Amino acid sequence: MAKVLMKGNEAIGEAAIRAGCKNYFAYPITPQSEVAEYLAKRLPEVGGVFLQGESEVAVGYMIFGAAGAGERVMTTSSSPGISLMSEAISYIAGAQVPAVFVNIMRGGPGLGGILPSQGDYFQATKGGGHGDYHLLVLAPDGVQEAVEMTMNAFTLAEKYRGPVMIMGDGLIGQMMEPVEFPDTLKTEPSNKDDWATSGMDHRKSDKRNLVKSLFLDPTELNNNNLALKAKYDQMKREEVLYEGYNTDTDYTVLIVSYGTMSRVCKTAIDMMKEQGIEVGLLRPKTLFPFPEKPVFDAATKESCKHVISIEMSMGQMVEDVERSVKGRREVDFYGECGGDIPTPEKIIQVIKALL
Amino acid sequence: MDIDIKGIVIICGNYGSGKTETAINLAATRKRDGIDVKIADLDLVNPYFRTREAKISLEAMGIEVVLPDKQYMHADLPILTPAVAGMIQQPSELTILDAGGDDVGVTVLAALEDHLSKKKVQMLQVINRFRPFTDDVKGCVRIKEEIEATSKIKITGLVSNANLIDETTPEHIYKGYDLLTAVSEATGIKIEFITACSHLIPQLELDRFTCPVLEINRQLNFPWKQFNP
Repeated sequence: MAKVLMKGNEAIGEAAIRAGCKNYFAYPITPQSEVAEYLAKRLPEVGGVFLQGESEVAVGYMIFGAAGAGERVMTTSSSPGISLMSEAISYIAGAQVPAVFVNIMRGGPGLGGILPSQGDYFQATKGGGHGDYHLLVLAPDGVQEAVEMTMNAFTLAEKYRGPVMIMGDGLIGQMMEPVEFPDTLKTEPSNKDDWATSGMDHRKSDKRNLVKSLFLDPTELNNNNLALKAKYDQMKREEVLYEGYNTDTDYTVLIVSYGTMSRVCKTAIDMMKEQGIEVGLLRPKTLFPFPEKPVFDAATKESCKHVISIEMSMGQMVEDVERSVKGRREVDFYGECGGDIPTPEKIIQVIKALL
Repeated sequence: MDIDIKGIVIICGNYGSGKTETAINLAATRKRDGIDVKIADLDLVNPYFRTREAKISLEAMGIEVVLPDKQYMHADLPILTPAVAGMIQQPSELTILDAGGDDVGVTVLAALEDHLSKKKVQMLQVINRFRPFTDDVKGCVRIKEEIEATSKIKITGLVSNANLIDETTPEHIYKGYDLLTAVSEATGIKIEFITACSHLIPQLELDRFTCPVLEINRQLNFPWKQFNP
């Protein structure tokens, strides 16, 4: 297929369709409402359904219901909306059903603002809802990667039978870039007969399925949490994704940065290279599981004297960077989170201050 | 062949077709031609990449930019400043109204109907054939009809803004022009101009076109791209 010019939000919508998602429930919120607008036009063309819930709380449980019935399902929202969905996300994790959540982050806390932010890192990777669960979190740095990650999110949600989140900041949703789409998603044969409440017709076995997150028996509840933990351990072994940039040089500073912020850092790295200053970038593409060993290895390279986490937040991912570096290097932080994205010049100033 | 457009010009088109980039560059080009230019940001729909982001560079050229009050600049509220009605009543030689995308984006024009109906108004539909929903004649005509129905104003001219941003080649611009020609034949609406990035213009076979080419110097850029004066 030839390239088209799309906003991140539209491209995420089209990617969901290409991944075979026929169910999309959402409540509009800036800066991600274009996903709903796009899918409201496109889903009827492929026999799918877009239904606007009366609130994000309702949408969360619409997702739970469709996922429990074995349907491929997605919602999209922005920060305050994800907060409202967090209860349902916890239920979905506990009940072990696959669903895709997209958070096109805006500034917070509270209503915050409508401009780009990365302030929901803790919410996405450390909880949000209650209980011992994790989301598998993918963080694209542009429109093409948002397409690939959205399609892959459905595969991962089904592989791990749990919630997967795409984390983009407002700019990833709003900016336009040329993209191309693979024709179809390659998926493993579905095992949903084993767990989904899809009705007894056409079922291979007579086993009755129950979708629930309530386990009053302490042994049963412990076993459910052990099953979840086993999945998170498997994710840590099998799903870590990251990109190194200029990391084959003898860099003295290692930047860790993701999403839009990492693209600004790449420009800054190119500009510093011209001035004879080598700086490496490690960009986590999965925020959970976090690329702990790749960050450790890149940080402890002999030439590397400084590590800095650069984020559109007041310092969230930096805690995972520190954890990964294990005290072997000092870890600095720079961030802004009002909605203005730090410029390459600003990043250069910050890096030079370290040297 | 030069662009000689004057009067009150509304820029409309489907969401993300490049209306604002077209409007800003049209304003700058005409200002350089020596005529007085005012531009108003009527995009009440899209929260990012709006005319207001080019305010400083436009004002440095002596172009009057009409925006909502500074305190509302980053609100996603549908604010229509009274100054817009004022600029329609007392237009400059070229007065550009940069509307929002799709039929929703031109709803605001209905609120200005009292002022607009007393004036001769041109409305240009911007088309980028590499955007979803406007890659064929049918899609472009559907958007045209939706915009006309909502705004109660007829589209008077067509603009091709065919591009894939940094990946645009002359071939893309030719393909955009071919679609524009087909839309013009289907609707009877004249082709006003096409756009091309400044670095591509030397590569274009200009005699392929029966219309002028507006040079685009990109103003609404990614934060990681250097500012290009």
